[in-house]
Amino acid sequence: MDGGMAPPPPEPVSYLCGDCGADNSLKPGDVIQCRECGYRILYKKRTRRIVQYEAR
Amino acid sequence: MASMMELGSEEDPCASTFSLVDEDHTLANSLRYILNRDPRVEFCGYSIPHPSENRVNIRIQTTGDPAKDVLKDALQDLMVMCQHIRKTFTNAVDQHKVAKRQGEVSMKSGITEPSTE
Amino acid sequence: MAPTSALDMPDMPSGKLPPHLELQRTRVICAADAAAHTESIQYSGAYALSRIDNSLRLREFCDNFRVEVFSLNEDDIEFDMIGIDAAIANAFRRILIAEVPTMAIEKVFVANNTSVIQEEVLAHRLGLVPLKVDPRLFEYKSESDLANEKNTIVLKLDVVCSRQDGRIKNATVKSEQLQWLPNGSEYQIEKTSKTYTSFSCSQETLPALKDNPIASRYPDIILAKLRPGQCIELEAHAVKGMGKTHAKWSPVATARYRMLPEVALLENIRDSLAEELVEKCPVNVFDIEDLSRGRKKAVVARPRDCTLCRECVLGDGWDKRVQIRRVKEHFIFSVESTGALPPDVLFLESVKILEEKCQRLLVELS
Repeated sequence: MDGGMAPPPPEPVSYLCGDCGADNSLKPGDVIQCRECGYRILYKKRTRRIVQYEAR
Repeated sequence: MASMMELGSEEDPCASTFSLVDEDHTLANSLRYILNRDPRVEFCGYSIPHPSENRVNIRIQTTGDPAKDVLKDALQDLMVMCQHIRKTFTNAVDQHKVAKRQGEVSMKSGITEPSTE
Repeated sequence: MAPTSALDMPDMPSGKLPPHLELQRTRVICAADAAAHTESIQYSGAYALSRIDNSLRLREFCDNFRVEVFSLNEDDIEFDMIGIDAAIANAFRRILIAEVPTMAIEKVFVANNTSVIQEEVLAHRLGLVPLKVDPRLFEYKSESDLANEKNTIVLKLDVVCSRQDGRIKNATVKSEQLQWLPNGSEYQIEKTSKTYTSFSCSQETLPALKDNPIASRYPDIILAKLRPGQCIELEAHAVKGMGKTHAKWSPVATARYRMLPEVALLENIRDSLAEELVEKCPVNVFDIEDLSRGRKKAVVARPRDCTLCRECVLGDGWDKRVQIRRVKEHFIFSVESTGALPPDVLFLESVKILEEKCQRLLVELS
């Protein structure tokens, strides 16, 4: 009963293949498989946000 | 925030403990040395109540003068000593640099006496 | 006959201590098992009966105090301070290590890191890189202060490892690849239009920095290693701090002192014993002096090199022939700078800091 619209489908996110390291752009609902070598384990890329560390 | 407290000087100004915050052996041991060599001082020592806390207690007992004055004099003496040390050190370094340069010049030109400039 | 005090005897040196007491006062005897007479005699009335005043007289201190510079290079200095007590020499050493401020990287903002080095490990390594910049040009920055050109130095590290013509470029990230950004941070804070620093003017306008760009003192410090395809993009902010807070801010590789060693031959050491003595010492403190008729004598040639290994007093009866001592008020200081300031300037700064401490307390007392 929240009445709000579901959020729009997110942008395609790029994942890295665990085997060949190729970039794969996937949308929600896509089959999880590398487009080049067929490996089924894909890793998410590091965030583009700036992370702060203390040099101690 | 006060970085020094004087304890116990109401009836007898000759004996008191100075509690210094944000100090450690660096200043306290130097002050203790200078205070001990003062003829007016009957007793002087320092202690660090707890190593996790940055606090030093310096106890001074004198033969008649107020402890505060004796401490002031010791601080003045230490400052004068530091100024003299700075002056002497600067002169020594300058002399060394001049002597080194003269040595290099005479080595380059192949003569053994110092060159006249 | 009136009783005469021993002190009034004609052969008693007046105004001076008898030699054995003078030895105790000015030398530490390093016996084979332990050191004797290590305490400095501080009580002003210690020698009152000999009519000697042991109190601190500044005039006498200024007359007797000497500094002799033994060697001075770009990075280190060795000098002797004569006429000063251990308490004050130690104060200078402690201040050199912990209280002379320097600039070092404190905050690291990582935009991208696809290398195998973890970001916090990389940040830790960056903190330890010595920067060749005079810390006296900058002010301290507390957590609540804004980062501006007076309290922060911004450095950038932007390296991509790639394969070019069969060769691999940038496989090793060295400290020379840290670039100075005199105009401040280039990264924007998320969802705002401000950068991480608020520089009102470029740091290059400072006359001291215009001709000396800020960089690491040593260009070949390895920060990370990369393989083709990996990259590191980060910004590092350096601030002023003291060794007390974290060792990365210590300006010295180390600062140390030792007392001048003195080796005394208690009896004449001749011939075969002399040769044995010269053999024993691993740093060649002793030398042979040739006497007439082929006889030899041992002399102490280089006492300054003595490392107190006590080899010369080990063995049968040797401790009756050789005595190792240290001269109490003679300190051989050795200061090695990490590059922020020249070593002689560092020592002067530490003396200034001790003066400032006294000044602060004097202000409190008045």
